[in-house]
Amino acid sequence: MKGLQPLFLGIFGIFAFSWLGMTVVPNLQIGSLNPQTDEDGGDAYPVPPSGMVVRGARVYASNGCVYCHSQQVRPEYGGSDIERHWGERRSAPRDYIFEPIVFLGKMRIGPDLANVGHQPAVEEKKAAASSSGPAAGAPPAAGQPAAATAATAVATPPTAVAASPAALASPALAATAAPVSPSPAVNAAAPATVPATGVQAAVTVPTSLPAAIANVAGLTASGEPLPNTAAWHHRHLFNPRSITDDSNMPAYRFLYEKRRISGTGSYDSINFAGDEAEAPGEGWEIVPSYDAKCLVAYLMSRDQSHPLKEAKSPVTLASAPGKEAQK
Amino acid sequence: MSMPAELTQEPLGDVEVTTSDVERVERALIDASTRLPVLVFYTSAIAWLLLATLLGILASFKMHSPDFLSGPPFLTWGRIRPAHLNALIYGWGSMAGMGTAIWLMARLCRTTLRHPLLLIAGGAFWNLGVLMGIGAIVAGNTTGYEWLEFPGFSAFTLFIAYLLIMTWALIMFRYRRRGHVYITQWYLLGAFLWFPWLYAATQIMLFIFPVQGVMQAAVNWWFANNLLFLWFGSIGLGTAYYMIPKVIGRPVHSYYLAAIGFWSFALFSSWTGMQRLIDGPFPAWMITASIAAAILTIIPVATVGLNHHMTMRNHFPLMRYSPTLRFTVFGAIAYTAFSIVGVLISLRSMARIVHFTEASMGYTYMGLYAFFTMVTFGSMYYIVPRLVGREWRYASLIKLHFWASAYGIGLMVLLLLVGGFVQGLNLNDPTLAFSETTQTILPYLRGCTLSWILLIVSHCVFAFHFGLMLLGFGRTASVPTFLNPLEPNPGGGH
Repeated sequence: MKGLQPLFLGIFGIFAFSWLGMTVVPNLQIGSLNPQTDEDGGDAYPVPPSGMVVRGARVYASNGCVYCHSQQVRPEYGGSDIERHWGERRSAPRDYIFEPIVFLGKMRIGPDLANVGHQPAVEEKKAAASSSGPAAGAPPAAGQPAAATAATAVATPPTAVAASPAALASPALAATAAPVSPSPAVNAAAPATVPATGVQAAVTVPTSLPAAIANVAGLTASGEPLPNTAAWHHRHLFNPRSITDDSNMPAYRFLYEKRRISGTGSYDSINFAGDEAEAPGEGWEIVPSYDAKCLVAYLMSRDQSHPLKEAKSPVTLASAPGKEAQK
Repeated sequence: MSMPAELTQEPLGDVEVTTSDVERVERALIDASTRLPVLVFYTSAIAWLLLATLLGILASFKMHSPDFLSGPPFLTWGRIRPAHLNALIYGWGSMAGMGTAIWLMARLCRTTLRHPLLLIAGGAFWNLGVLMGIGAIVAGNTTGYEWLEFPGFSAFTLFIAYLLIMTWALIMFRYRRRGHVYITQWYLLGAFLWFPWLYAATQIMLFIFPVQGVMQAAVNWWFANNLLFLWFGSIGLGTAYYMIPKVIGRPVHSYYLAAIGFWSFALFSSWTGMQRLIDGPFPAWMITASIAAAILTIIPVATVGLNHHMTMRNHFPLMRYSPTLRFTVFGAIAYTAFSIVGVLISLRSMARIVHFTEASMGYTYMGLYAFFTMVTFGSMYYIVPRLVGREWRYASLIKLHFWASAYGIGLMVLLLLVGGFVQGLNLNDPTLAFSETTQTILPYLRGCTLSWILLIVSHCVFAFHFGLMLLGFGRTASVPTFLNPLEPNPGGGH
């Protein structure tokens, strides 16, 4: 071959073309997005994560959660993500702008986690607590079948579960449920407040109460934690098969410590209701390490339920023309 | 045709125009000068391969038996799996590929290897970088980006090591004997120049000046895809372009086809990658551009495949004798299959099924193992005897190595592709509970563990055989080790 200049120029040129086309130009397009706000500049979404959430993302990375769990919801025409209730709308680039590490994932040996922190159950509970007259009178047995289905079908948000825990725990709930507001506002507040909800609820309970009742804000009628609450996540990480019989997830027991109960016991010790075989024995408790708490805080911050104007959910899409007409 | 050219040292047509005793002595001198560095790279690579195999079967077993050894944090599946893939990519694949590339570069530049210490220092730093990186992954210090899990200090060491090796390659090329630049050198030069740019650009865009949000994922996929094509693909194809003509003693069928294949390969395959993010949170044009590029890669694949096929025509029976040819042709055919599968899983209708399933792992193993690793094994069977001055001891061990590797990887890829397809169909059926979709793939994953047992056998046999060669227990003979005894008139001839 005569003259090597074309060879070297070609090698560099081709690579520069790919680098510009696949990374630089897209970065100009979606690399500096801002949060979305309403007309008054309020209701910002997304919001930057807390320090615990950032550290939780590191725990998520170091234990390789991303190799089995994706964090992206495809649109309704691409797969069954929305039908599986992994989200109400497709994910959009704006959902990820504050993510410390973006874990889109390429595998679903485990379910998608893009909205695992979104808890319609909590909101409905708040609603139930605000109108707690009839709910408080309902017999605990009424909640039982619904609670059972909620425990098995994790992805399906429970609808009728709220009744019996509300009846059990109205003082604790009243403390947390003070800012009841229409649903979009609750959604907006969710990423910031949800990681702390479980803990706060427990803290507001007088310490003289037994440990089992301290976690009561998210319990089913049989005393097990409600799906996707902090207590549920801890139990699931400690022993996945105590939640789903045929789960294929490894246990992450090294994130937990076994220790002697001192005093009334820790408010965040793992709830073994319904699976006493796993319980550590009389006088002992299993408590999450700080890494485990961060990981759960991270999981509970996974929430893309806030509406985005560039990614309409199928439902709002269907009703959109009507809204346009009203305006 | 009477016997393979390994025996008669026939010239390579275009590249070496005349055969004479002078050239033969010259080749021996060049081979001798590459001896130490190439053996350092090969020995390290094989050590990493054994580690990667061990981690691979552990990860595979834990995949269907999650409670197996889940107690200590350093044995959790989520750390073993990236440790396995990184050992395979940076330990085995890159070191073996660079070893072969060094030898080919010296041979094709027709000059004795200069500055061997530069190379050996590069190899030592590379080993250090991989060792620190895998230690960090197992200890839980991971970046969280696939194929880039090594933390900063390890990545930096790798990069320094790489600069040493690349500097050497460019010096070699600068001092080459004037004359024709063979197609293999194009691929090798491309690989040597693309890798540092790719690695540096990605490290800068992810860790030094991190891009925002989903662009991180785009950069990650751009890197992983180009590492597979522009780094492993270039070295593998370049090696095949050398080994096939060399062993059968014919020039490459068409030089024009080779040139078209090279440029279209570089142009189109470097634009694929985003199709793995299909229906994800990205502007549609990015994904569409990658799908289009993936479809266009049919052009280089067909060109390269046709060229190899035409070169091999009437010489396929030689695969019965030459270990190098058998491994290399397996790899070359696997490259075609890998690319076709790559096109199929890029099409939107197919991607909606196999996206997020084990099929993507099957695709990765096709590229990394069925294509690249097999070609590299082939080149090692050719090169190592020329470095140690001995021939391979046992033809039976080579055969065992080949068949265990071929059946092992074939079974694994088949199980992962079919299993992934079934898993994808189930995932798309929302009436099926999620845990059931995972259950349906477990039998396939158990099959994968079986295929890993075959691969363990294959790799241990190869490492043992290589160790014999290294310790000087090879055969002293004037003819190479053939897989089967030469018959008077094999395959009819031409």
